[in-house]
Amino acid sequence: MQRERIRKLESVIALTVSTFAAALGIFWLVFILGSVIVHGAHALSPGFFVHDPTPAGIPGGGMRNAFVGQFLITLFATIIGVPVGILGGTFLAEYARGKRISHYVSMLADIMVTVPTIVVGTFIYAIMVKPMGHFSGWAGSVALAVIMIPVVLRTTENMLTLVPWTLREAAFALGAPYYKVIMQVVYRGAITGIFTGVLLSIARVAGETAPLLFTSFNNSFFSGNMNGPMASLTVTIFQYAMGPYDDWHDQAWAAALVITLAIMIVTIVGRMVIKLRYGKK
Amino acid sequence: MNLDMEIKGLNFYYAGKHMVLHNINLEIYKNTVTALIGPSGCGKTTLLRCFNRMHDLYPGNKYEGEIIFQGRNILTKETDLIDLRSRIGMVFQKPTPFPMSIFDNVAYGLRLRGIRKKSILSEKVEHALKQSAIWEEVKDKLHESAYALSGGQQQRLVIARALAVEPEALLFDEPTSALDPISTAKIEELIEGLKENVTIIIVTHNLQQAARISEWTGFLMLGELVEFDRTEKIFTVPKEKLTEDYVTGRFG
Repeated sequence: MQRERIRKLESVIALTVSTFAAALGIFWLVFILGSVIVHGAHALSPGFFVHDPTPAGIPGGGMRNAFVGQFLITLFATIIGVPVGILGGTFLAEYARGKRISHYVSMLADIMVTVPTIVVGTFIYAIMVKPMGHFSGWAGSVALAVIMIPVVLRTTENMLTLVPWTLREAAFALGAPYYKVIMQVVYRGAITGIFTGVLLSIARVAGETAPLLFTSFNNSFFSGNMNGPMASLTVTIFQYAMGPYDDWHDQAWAAALVITLAIMIVTIVGRMVIKLRYGKK
Repeated sequence: MNLDMEIKGLNFYYAGKHMVLHNINLEIYKNTVTALIGPSGCGKTTLLRCFNRMHDLYPGNKYEGEIIFQGRNILTKETDLIDLRSRIGMVFQKPTPFPMSIFDNVAYGLRLRGIRKKSILSEKVEHALKQSAIWEEVKDKLHESAYALSGGQQQRLVIARALAVEPEALLFDEPTSALDPISTAKIEELIEGLKENVTIIIVTHNLQQAARISEWTGFLMLGELVEFDRTEKIFTVPKEKLTEDYVTGRFG
């Protein structure tokens, strides 16, 4: 009897503590989302998306330059980072499985994931911005790609490892060469996980500011030139939030709202697509 | 009776380990079912996986001796493994459907061989599914995921996938050990029907199964082939004391 009472008490305590922890986490999430929505919504207007910034201190204007810049930088970061990450993860999980190199590269990737992104920014500054002599969108994309690669690589590796080995053997037993086994069987089995990893990595870099400060920097004017300094939402938010004008603060809130929603939509849509296509699994 | 495969003095070593198969000598006859039995770890699966050179997937494994399949030693370096594996199919212990539709599963081996024409594909897929007695159950959902099928259905689907490329021999590695009795009965019935067209080698833990479906039985222990003979002889008048002890359940 005594024992049972203690066990029940332990259960109640564990339940209370974990519920409280969950509530605490969700509270801050809702609080942050809520204040971003409240502050951001009233500064949103169609003009915010289609106008470029006005000179400092003059009210009005929008962030068209930052939207386009953010989109381009993230797009090219994805184009550079995702293939490298997926192919690297494939190498580790398939061709180098069980070999020492696989172990070392995985470990290195894990370290890379935890490297402060500002370090990546300064590194790209040193190897790209300095030799080129100017900030550029390309440098921003490369910096973000460098942050993406280890995330995509490790997710791909993990997801491929989860595909049962017998599935590969079954494909080999039908006479398939290894590259076809990987492309046609293993990737299909792991696609959901890899896709989620890619989305998460995009979501992660889309919110980065520090690496862009040193690479693509900022641009108050509209620019589609990846070879020159380029505006991005995050750097613009940083600059506006630090600025002296109330108008800037409002716009920073609005930009924060837009980028938060965009990342949320990307994630949700991605998951829905996966569910629709592969839900029957 | 036609000889299909002849194993002469086969030794096998796993990478970095001692010899696991010792001097195996065995004949497999065309269009028969040969069962390999023996206690766990005796090397029966290892032997089976020599026949389609599955061990080559892992570096360091080594064969010695000869496996003559249709006049040629398949253990030579010159053997085209892709060709070999399309002539000797394999079905595993757990069902291994690929993450794609039922149709694409069965068509997989055909497409590997470069068959692209829709009409030929559907015809061959249908034929294979009928051969493995699952056509009636799946004909209306060929384009649904293979994962929606039950374990027993998946196993028959996998057999259809192996049959679709018209192999000359099929290797079964304990194909029913993960299935319920009804599914097992279906698979056994299926195997008996298949031997008209293919030579079958089956590894099984289930002695009754070996007795029911095979004409020839090999008994292995500790990596050696203790006895190989007609199934009824192995189960009624075995020559070796060890075989008798095993089939009568004195150990194992």
